[in-house]
Amino acid sequence: MINTSYLRSGLTIAASLLASAVGIPALADGPADARVVLVPSSGPLVSLRLVFRVGSADDPKGKEGLAALTAAMVAQGGTKTLKYEEVLDRFFPIAAELNGNCLKEVSVFSGDVHKDNLGSYIPLATEMIASPRFAPEDFDRLREEALDHLTKTLRGDNDEALGKWTLQSALYENHPYGRPDEGLVAGLKAITLDDVKDFHRTHYTRDRLFLGLAGAANAETVKLIENGLSPLVRVSELQPTTIPPVGPPRGLEVTIVTKPAEATAISIGFPIDVTRTDDDFYALAVANSFLGEHRTFNGRLMQDLRGKRGLNYGDYSYIEDFIQEGQSTFPIPNNHRSRQYFSIWIRPVPTDKAVFALRAALWEVDRLIEKGMTPEEFEATRSFLLNYSKLWVQTLSRRLGYAIEGTLYGRKDLVTELADRLPKLTVDQVNAAVRRHLKPSGMKVAIVAGNAEELRGLLTSGKPSPIVYDTQGTPQEILDQDKLIEVFPLKDVSVRIVPVEQMFEK
Amino acid sequence: MKRLLLCAVAVFGFAGAFTTVRAEDGRPPVFPYPIRKTTLENGLGVVSIPFDSPGIIAYYTVVRTGSRNEVEKGLSGFAHFFEHMMFRGTDKYSQDAYNDVLKSLGADSNAFTTDDWTCYHMTIPATALAKAVEIESDRFRNLKYDEADFQKEARAVLGEYNKSSSSPFLKLEEALSDTAFTAHTYKHTTIGFLADIKDMPNQYAYSKVFFDRWYRPENCTIVVAGQVDHDVLVDLVKTAYGTWPRGGKSVEIPQEPEQDGPRKAELTWPLPTLPILALTYHTPASDPANPDVPALRALQQAVFGETSPLYRSLVLDEQKAETLTAFIDPHRDPHLFTILARGRKVEFMPEIGRRIRDALKEAAEKPVAEDRLNAIKSHLRYAFAGELDSPDSVARAVGESIAINGRPEALNELYAAYDRLTPADLQRVASKYFTATNETVVTLETRESK
Repeated sequence: MINTSYLRSGLTIAASLLASAVGIPALADGPADARVVLVPSSGPLVSLRLVFRVGSADDPKGKEGLAALTAAMVAQGGTKTLKYEEVLDRFFPIAAELNGNCLKEVSVFSGDVHKDNLGSYIPLATEMIASPRFAPEDFDRLREEALDHLTKTLRGDNDEALGKWTLQSALYENHPYGRPDEGLVAGLKAITLDDVKDFHRTHYTRDRLFLGLAGAANAETVKLIENGLSPLVRVSELQPTTIPPVGPPRGLEVTIVTKPAEATAISIGFPIDVTRTDDDFYALAVANSFLGEHRTFNGRLMQDLRGKRGLNYGDYSYIEDFIQEGQSTFPIPNNHRSRQYFSIWIRPVPTDKAVFALRAALWEVDRLIEKGMTPEEFEATRSFLLNYSKLWVQTLSRRLGYAIEGTLYGRKDLVTELADRLPKLTVDQVNAAVRRHLKPSGMKVAIVAGNAEELRGLLTSGKPSPIVYDTQGTPQEILDQDKLIEVFPLKDVSVRIVPVEQMFEK
Repeated sequence: MKRLLLCAVAVFGFAGAFTTVRAEDGRPPVFPYPIRKTTLENGLGVVSIPFDSPGIIAYYTVVRTGSRNEVEKGLSGFAHFFEHMMFRGTDKYSQDAYNDVLKSLGADSNAFTTDDWTCYHMTIPATALAKAVEIESDRFRNLKYDEADFQKEARAVLGEYNKSSSSPFLKLEEALSDTAFTAHTYKHTTIGFLADIKDMPNQYAYSKVFFDRWYRPENCTIVVAGQVDHDVLVDLVKTAYGTWPRGGKSVEIPQEPEQDGPRKAELTWPLPTLPILALTYHTPASDPANPDVPALRALQQAVFGETSPLYRSLVLDEQKAETLTAFIDPHRDPHLFTILARGRKVEFMPEIGRRIRDALKEAAEKPVAEDRLNAIKSHLRYAFAGELDSPDSVARAVGESIAINGRPEALNELYAAYDRLTPADLQRVASKYFTATNETVVTLETRESK
């Protein structure tokens, strides 16, 4: 393991997920203030990643969407010297780009480029970040895109994403997290181009920047970065936004978004007081992997709801906000948050099985809390997670992301933390952490459905919701469980029905 | 900015031959790794791409069967469904036992199906190679499931359809295939017609026929990328798969007759959505020996890429379109070149359609500038280089070449063909394929706007 990292200003750095170094010189001329993470590797590619500590939680009230629109203006707009179409012309022959992504507390910019093209890529990418053009035509285009995303794509084209954002909006009502990162319709409409310029000047500062470089880079690359970023203001005049805790839900607080839908999408969640800075996070990581590791067949939710009952395509659980990277199985790196929540994602189920599916998921959580993991289940899951987590850093860009992420949490990168901590964990510690954190006074449920009133009746009536299979041969063990699940108590249910056209409006 | 996945430089062809790769003009190859290939006596292909990937390998099994092979009426979507069944276990490794092995390895394991191929892939520690060969050979040779498992999995497939059904793009894709094709099995999407998916629980007996017909060594290739020794791999595969008998079965895939006039389908959507216009044209199979294939890919960039005049005007300057893109996915048989535009307003759509056709007409009449063509060639080259950032992506690129063209060297051929392109090639394909007779148009608008 090589740990090549340097920070001229003396701030701490993390990095080191890798094998062979290739003799990259020390970053003697590295950016003066930004924390630098350098990950060396062989191969012809270079990965650049810049993380600013500014996100949608920093949106001013009434201008929700400003942080995301600013990030879009940087990544998909022109620079002081180039119109956006000229930026595209420069990127085209080198097949490069600058990805921009605004999340709750960070805005992440990244790109990968062949070493042949470093000399053209780095100056352009850094100019985009430090000296955006803020052209009115880019503003119009990108704001319209954000509005279309909220009013067309989320409301009309993707029930799974709609369900997830409905859950977050419900979990964090009147809170900086309580809306899609793209903003709200009213907020976006109120934003002016001057707002974007001001936001960039006051938030895209060097003291808020974490910078990472991986692959076939050298000291010359760092000089290019330093030159490109020099226009950035050194220190932000603003204090970081405080992210307050939110209270626990009471009973089962259900939000049903009503719209024409062929199947029913369900998300369940509640806030937890645990992040990667806490020791219990790592114990919960094992329990969560056992309950519902994302896009694997290891979790009980997946095995029982999909595998044994054929209810839907997938069922997973999470102990932190999870955004999948493209078509992969892994989360995007650098989704740093001060506050987290536990959630279950039930992919669309047939309408007549929705209440049973909800009860089944709640029953599985209850079973985990009450019975815990056995020592054998614990050992198998721990072993899995130790190996599996090493796959999270297969690409240069992901290595960088995890290294920077560790720095933001004041920890080692997550893969190293798991490697250090899991061997020392015990099954009792894991089961205790589950009881401590996953047994809330209530939960929030988000449902996207076409039969809202009927669902309300089913949820509040307290009546059983038996499942009727249209397939043969359900094992007796499952049929026996079904009897428990169909009457699993839904306590203190309150239901709010929201027409889809009102979602994310203001 | 979207990237093209395709193209590489890699030459081999002799069983066990170790080959290095070189571009025709002596430049370093885009595909930077050596490839080794062995074919067993029973026809099973074994391909390795060794390179430095700290402790990790991608293990792929490429099956040259996809929804293209679904010739029997009422059984569309079966290749994909069968992909699901492959996880249902054997006598030796039940579904749970198979999963326990993957879990103990910390594997990232899954599968996917396309029109032309089915792929089973896992990323695992390099030290787990022997175990991977053991469990994969076992399920390919000895898969066993009962009717109850079969029916439950059929409903998981319906769930997969349901998860996508809230997107207008699923309906659009279904209509495009169904309208553009009349005879060929590309008429249905990979997941299949909804009616056939709903009927899947009743097709247990056919599933056995399907397995026997297509899951045979001559139809499969093992591809391993990363920290792997080819000779060790071949020894393991020979032991585990060597006695797997050939099947020798095939079916006749109906040929699509030449289109004899313009076709159209109009769709509506129950909720507010951006209007969509899709124009599609029949184009040849993705054989790099056909000079039209690289020319069409270059044309896609020239006319519809983000640096094209049409994109610049419709998307960036006038902002009449939210999206403008074109795609020509690799296929074994003749397939489609599709242009997709999402408009900002429904009233812009007729003009968007007219300007797309005008741009194609202009591409036929006026040669693309040499420097523009060079930029396109460079883009294609570096886009591919950028894709190769993990054992998984390397194995996938090689796997696709094997699946579509039957040989990994097709990557090399396509790259060489790009380098030879001239402006006249783009003009030729622009006038040859983008005719009114060869056109299918599908529109989708919000219901209330109709």
